[in-house]
Amino acid sequence: MRLRTVGAVAVVAVFLPPLLMLVAGSLREPGLPPPPGPQLVPDPLSTEGYIRAVDLGGLVRAGLNSTVVAAIAVPVSVLVASLAGFAMTQLPRRITAAVMAASLVALAAPATALLVPRFALFRVLGLTDTLAPLVAPALLATSPLYPLVFYVAFRALPADLYDACRLEDLSPLRTWWRVAMPLVRPVTAVVAALTFVLTWSNFLDPLVYIYDRDLFTLPLALRSLSTLDPTNFPVFLAGAVLTTIPPLVVFALAQRHALRHLRLHGYQET
Amino acid sequence: MSRRQLGFMLAPYAVGMVALVLLPAAATLMLAFADYDLVQPPQWTGAGNFTELAGDGIFRTALVNSLVFAAVAVPLRLLIALGLALLLHRRARGVGTARTAAALPTAVPEVAYGLLWLWLFNPLYGPINQLLRVGGENGLTALGRTPPQWLTDPTDARAAIIIMSLFTVGESFLVLLAARLVLPPEVYELAAVEDATGWDVFRRITLPLIAPVLGLLLVRDTILSFQVSFVPALVVTDGGPPPYATTYLSLFVYRNAFEYLRYGYAAAATMVMLVLTVAAVILQWRLLRRWR
Repeated sequence: MRLRTVGAVAVVAVFLPPLLMLVAGSLREPGLPPPPGPQLVPDPLSTEGYIRAVDLGGLVRAGLNSTVVAAIAVPVSVLVASLAGFAMTQLPRRITAAVMAASLVALAAPATALLVPRFALFRVLGLTDTLAPLVAPALLATSPLYPLVFYVAFRALPADLYDACRLEDLSPLRTWWRVAMPLVRPVTAVVAALTFVLTWSNFLDPLVYIYDRDLFTLPLALRSLSTLDPTNFPVFLAGAVLTTIPPLVVFALAQRHALRHLRLHGYQET
Repeated sequence: MSRRQLGFMLAPYAVGMVALVLLPAAATLMLAFADYDLVQPPQWTGAGNFTELAGDGIFRTALVNSLVFAAVAVPLRLLIALGLALLLHRRARGVGTARTAAALPTAVPEVAYGLLWLWLFNPLYGPINQLLRVGGENGLTALGRTPPQWLTDPTDARAAIIIMSLFTVGESFLVLLAARLVLPPEVYELAAVEDATGWDVFRRITLPLIAPVLGLLLVRDTILSFQVSFVPALVVTDGGPPPYATTYLSLFVYRNAFEYLRYGYAAAATMVMLVLTVAAVILQWRLLRRWR
């Protein structure tokens, strides 16, 4: 038992320092010459970096844009994924297999591979330089993995349940919303959390589609903040901390939730 | 009636799939054989883009860089994730914290993560080299060597990109952890009765049982490796140091398309990237089959 704890401490000692340094670096006073040696706690401590990051980088506006995109894209994405996953359990096997194959191909295609034609598509539709292309991946459930996750979860429910709903003359839509969804709540929570993290962190799409500073999302604003003055570390590290906090919190909560659920369902940790 | 409703439920995803994946993929295939700048209609050039790629030194550098990155980073990342999962699957004091710590770097947005390492790797006042210089004199390490020039020396810069990719294995780690947790405890009890050593248990029980998951993660990480290197190369090293030491295929495609407006040429490079991915996946699949 003691040995495992030593291992756990070693893991923390390797994986936590980069994040600690992120916070430490952001609390330095901008413009001071770098300290001669490594410092975990900067001296003097200063929040000036944060003030300047928010000011220079327009992070309030960018945070608002990021929030708008996430507020639309995450619920839509989870709905699309769970609807598709549920339909796949009920439709004929041939259709299900086709959707599954397409999803796996989509999972395998690197994002950069589809960037050029997608850009052409949104340009033709006149949607470049709007937030629409950033919300659009929600139609694809953000990652084609998530409909498959819902499919697996819905299939794991007992078959009698669906038969009973059919006997009761419940429509598929009602079965999905009233019966199936409440039973897979932990899956929904985890998929929603991961969707949020992916949407919030999305950098490639805004980089390609957005030119107007007023429409910048946080990752893009952060990038332009760092190109503004690449040597002023405290300022852009402060911006990085602000961008990082929401997904980090959501991810940590989801991870605990998922592991607790795994435990509740009888997988004893030996 | 109910069939129609089910079709309606699948429709949004099907539309997204066709509009955002299948059609763009088909368009990439066609654009690869054309010159296209988004303003004038595409001009068909046959295999012209590919012959140009074959003679393009930057493309060849990017190709080699991507392959080397995949060959080094993918196995290392998988080994780290597997090691973490096996180390942290039992409950003990501190294990919960360690799991969270191992998974957290993966949740940091790519740009923020890149900027963090841009600072950490700074050869002069970055914390890593400051730490390496502790105990040394005149800017040398305690062993009297010059610390690595992370962002200005080609080899060190490539190493830097790989090092920063090793901390973001949270996803594979959590999947492997879950896979290990659902293995039946009875098998392990039996092994304990027979006095099997830890290595035997790993080789004979754990490894064969989680091999399918491991195989899937290997394939997935290989595919992702062409993408994982994009943001670091853009934000941390800017494709440099010269000449193109950290220009990977993804950055090459991005630059050609969105900076030089050569969409056809970029599409052709994308096709090469896709063919390579498929080849790598098939190769791995065969190796795994034989090994099992």
